[in-house]
Amino acid sequence: MKYILELRHVQKIYGEKENQVEALKNIDMQVKEGEFAAIVGTSGSGKSTLLNLAGGLDTPTGGRIYIKGREIGSLTRKELTIFRRRNIGFVFQNYSLMPVLNVYDNVALPVTFDRGSHISHKYIEELLRELGIWEKRKKYPSELSGGQQQRVAIARALVNKPAILLADEPTGNLDSGTTVEVIGLLKASCRKYNQTILMVTHNEAIAQTCDRIIHIEDGRVTAGARLFQEKGGDGAC
Amino acid sequence: MLKLACQYMRYYKSQTFAILASMILTAALLSGVSSLMYSSQRNDLENNKFVYGNWHYYLDAGEEALSSVRAGQQEEGFTVEQCGRLTVRDMVSEPYKIYFVDADESFRKMTHRELVEGIYPSGADEIAVDRYTLGNLGFSGGVGDVLCLGGKEYTLTGIVKSAWAAGSDEMVVFVGERFQGQESHPLLYLRFDEGEKLYKQLEAFCRQYGISWDSVTANDEVTRYLDGERPDSIYDIVKFALTDERGNFTYIILKLQSEYHLAFYGMILLLGIFSLFIIYSIFQISVSRRAAEYGMMQTLGISGAAIGGTLILELWTLFLAGYPTGCLLGNGVLQLFYRKFGNVFSAGTAGKGQSVLPGADQILGSGGTSDFYVAFGPMAAGFFFLFAALAFVGWLTVHSMQKKSIRQAMGGDASFLKGRRRIYSRRNRSLVSVTAGKFMFSNKKRVIGILLSLSIGGCIFLCTTYMTENLKVHAEMSMKSDDGLGSEYRVSVKSDTLSDTIPEAVVDEIRKMPELGQVYGTKYVLGELIIREQELEWDEYFDERNKDSLFLERYGGICVDRGDGTCGIKYDVYGYDEGMLEQLGGFVLEGEADPEGLTQGDQVIAVANMDGQGNYNFYGKHPGDTITLRVPKQLDCLEEVLKFQSPEENYIVKEFEIGAIVSRALAQEDAYLNVNSWSNAESIIMSNEQMRGVYGIRDYSFVNASAIDGADREQAAGEMLERIRDVPRAVLKDYTSAIENQKKYLKQQQFFFSAIAVVLLIISLFHIMNSMNYSILSRRREYGIIRAMGITDTGFYRMILGTGIMYGVLADVFIFLIYHIVLRRFMDYYMSHVVQFLHLTSGIPGGIMAGIMILNILIAAAAVVIPARKIGKSDIVSVI
Repeated sequence: MKYILELRHVQKIYGEKENQVEALKNIDMQVKEGEFAAIVGTSGSGKSTLLNLAGGLDTPTGGRIYIKGREIGSLTRKELTIFRRRNIGFVFQNYSLMPVLNVYDNVALPVTFDRGSHISHKYIEELLRELGIWEKRKKYPSELSGGQQQRVAIARALVNKPAILLADEPTGNLDSGTTVEVIGLLKASCRKYNQTILMVTHNEAIAQTCDRIIHIEDGRVTAGARLFQEKGGDGAC
Repeated sequence: MLKLACQYMRYYKSQTFAILASMILTAALLSGVSSLMYSSQRNDLENNKFVYGNWHYYLDAGEEALSSVRAGQQEEGFTVEQCGRLTVRDMVSEPYKIYFVDADESFRKMTHRELVEGIYPSGADEIAVDRYTLGNLGFSGGVGDVLCLGGKEYTLTGIVKSAWAAGSDEMVVFVGERFQGQESHPLLYLRFDEGEKLYKQLEAFCRQYGISWDSVTANDEVTRYLDGERPDSIYDIVKFALTDERGNFTYIILKLQSEYHLAFYGMILLLGIFSLFIIYSIFQISVSRRAAEYGMMQTLGISGAAIGGTLILELWTLFLAGYPTGCLLGNGVLQLFYRKFGNVFSAGTAGKGQSVLPGADQILGSGGTSDFYVAFGPMAAGFFFLFAALAFVGWLTVHSMQKKSIRQAMGGDASFLKGRRRIYSRRNRSLVSVTAGKFMFSNKKRVIGILLSLSIGGCIFLCTTYMTENLKVHAEMSMKSDDGLGSEYRVSVKSDTLSDTIPEAVVDEIRKMPELGQVYGTKYVLGELIIREQELEWDEYFDERNKDSLFLERYGGICVDRGDGTCGIKYDVYGYDEGMLEQLGGFVLEGEADPEGLTQGDQVIAVANMDGQGNYNFYGKHPGDTITLRVPKQLDCLEEVLKFQSPEENYIVKEFEIGAIVSRALAQEDAYLNVNSWSNAESIIMSNEQMRGVYGIRDYSFVNASAIDGADREQAAGEMLERIRDVPRAVLKDYTSAIENQKKYLKQQQFFFSAIAVVLLIISLFHIMNSMNYSILSRRREYGIIRAMGITDTGFYRMILGTGIMYGVLADVFIFLIYHIVLRRFMDYYMSHVVQFLHLTSGIPGGIMAGIMILNILIAAAAVVIPARKIGKSDIVSVI
């Protein structure tokens, strides 16, 4: 089985000496291509730390992390940055959009980092239409609602057609109606683009809509339950 | 409120430090420069007291005053600190004009003519003389020897100190009470209490003794520092400038400068404003970092006044600590350096020693000491100004915060929303540079603040350089004009008789001296320029000159109505040799000073008249126009002929074409028109050949010479003295010390101004670093997002560096425009009309201009790279 993401004996320790906190303890985990997995845990359980490590935004104290079979710990800082922008898409709880760029340019931003890389305006338009924010393309983030901002963040995460999309509490700031919409959009993306998604949430109900739930408690993975059939099956996504 | 202010100061340590540092630095600069300028003024005063005498006024007093005025006398309105009496008892005119004076001890003390050897004369045939006079008389004996003056023999009983700037005064010998001479009325020399305004004391003194103002003469070089004359009120000055046709802006500036020390107080005011700008700007940054917190406080119900009070208390607390520290620092550092650079603002420091060459009049030697005086007045004024201004800053800050809603205050900057809504990625624009540009320009006030602080140091540096470059040219030209080509030696004839000249053969002998390099000989004759009445300008100026009793008596006035619709104006007519005519090139205002043209044709060079505001004009004439000049046919003429009212056969009348108009004459006479307080008298210049050909003048009136490198200067001067020994009334002036002093002074002045510019540059730099640091770090989250999106470290640094370079380039454009459109014009105006430099010929060297431009870019780049590295090292997750 080919895994998009694989964590082997990953450990993360913050602080030094008596202030040391072991946020993740010997984590082993895999995510398959096209899978929509949810990491669920209480506050401070280590779920966001796990996501940041998986996205190369932070480095583990021990263990290895593979994305598309490539061990990211072996990459130089520059290689990791390039690898990340080409293979990993991020969606954050607070959207993390550039306030000085409008919707369209926010979505196009990651593509422009690759010199010579052609911006597919058709694809951006498709994404924006798909996510229902095409009409808002000239608006600035501060002029949008939370749900609309998160849609922009999803579009930006998808624009480079990443191997995996990492979403950290994407609905944490949204009301229930918008939460349903956003989760629906993520699932639709997963289905349409065969997108692998790893989402952190503390909301069990939202997690229940995903392919798999990975429970994490006190820095350890406690359970992983498949709720649906594998991709390609009838009930996938 | 105080507690809250203290807590803010503790919490935002780096910003608190930045504000405190800016206060310390600006206070140091403000107080340091004030003290330096004040010290220079005080030292100038002390030097002038040494050169011109430590007295304020002399007057032809009545018997009552003469008998009752005494040192230490305190009356209502005045205090006489010292008074001396001087009586002229006799005068001889051969071999020089020498006065026999009876002076009391107090006078001799005030004028620094104390005995250095022997005793003061008391007998009828006894005299005391200074070494300068003895040297020129060729007297080689000592005290007790006999000296012959005016056909009579006198015993030399003592030697007194030589007078400073002896060349400009008549020679004097001191005699005792029993001297057999004429009985004349004594003059009373007064020194009042300098702690009070002098003019008020003089008014009270004159009132008490019923003395007329006309009989009072001021020691201008001393009293101008001590309010020697009642100043016009500012209201009257402005009113005159606005209502009188002769009044203008320059009039106001010049009057304020001469009567209210505009340059001194203006400089302090500018430094105060500069200090305020820096403090305000840094404080704004500090406040903007916590704007959201103040917004939060307002939501909790804290009033704007309370927030304002907190801000003002914070500023005042820091100011109370920073200002005294800065003053101590500035004055302390400058006191250490003052001895080395003390005479930067002083026009020259008089040496306290005697002339090395007994026969030569040594002008303005160096070696005087300079004391440092702390300017408490301006420091206190600066304190109160900034203290009050900081309260205004606090109010302004709260006012600008209150213009925003609480939501805006908490939400941060949203000014980029106002721009046009373009999709830049569709235009193939790099979104990185678009983002960087938007970060830069989203807050226009901040951008202008950064550009201003980036530019201010550069602008000040350019202005300083421009000023010092022109000052250098002006000083060189002044030297050339005053003493003749900046030569070290000048031989002239101490006489006001045209036929007293230096024979051509003697000048040839001087030319042959191996110790001398350039030797320039000048011929001279007094002439009269004839112009039509309607061509005459500045009637008031000529009226004033006509009033001078000396001119009236000798020449029948300077400008005389000839009764045929024309005016005759007395003119110095100089004959220059080729070398001097070439040197005149730098002074040309119009036309061309062509030596060949002068020699071959009937061309002359006219010296333009300059008004009090630095404007030049030669009766509306230009090169190519003609003038009519009358000069006496014989140099050996009767005094009456010099009034130019004798029969026409006594004069040569000739028409000349104006070849060029210049701003000044070189090597000017000091016995005919440039006497009393008059200088740079009206002059016409021609070649020596013309003087010989047209007027038959063979001999010279002055010779200017310079020693070659490595020559023994003392020996050279001695040899020159030897050659002129037989020339009646010929004297040698030694300018060696003056030239050295001038060069040293110029160098120090350049160094000083550059140092001040560098200090300002450092303060600006400090401000730039703080502004840029804040500007970059305030976008920490946005840069974090960009990094999370996958920009490489190189790309990130390139983006930030681009921002810095852009700031640098914009600042360069800013500087270039401000300098050329505003500052340079202002400087040109200031130099030509206020300080009245001879010529504005020197621009800023291209290297310095380029250096400033490059430095700006480097500073801006360095200023952004430092915070960028901080961001680059930080953890992405924590910042987003």
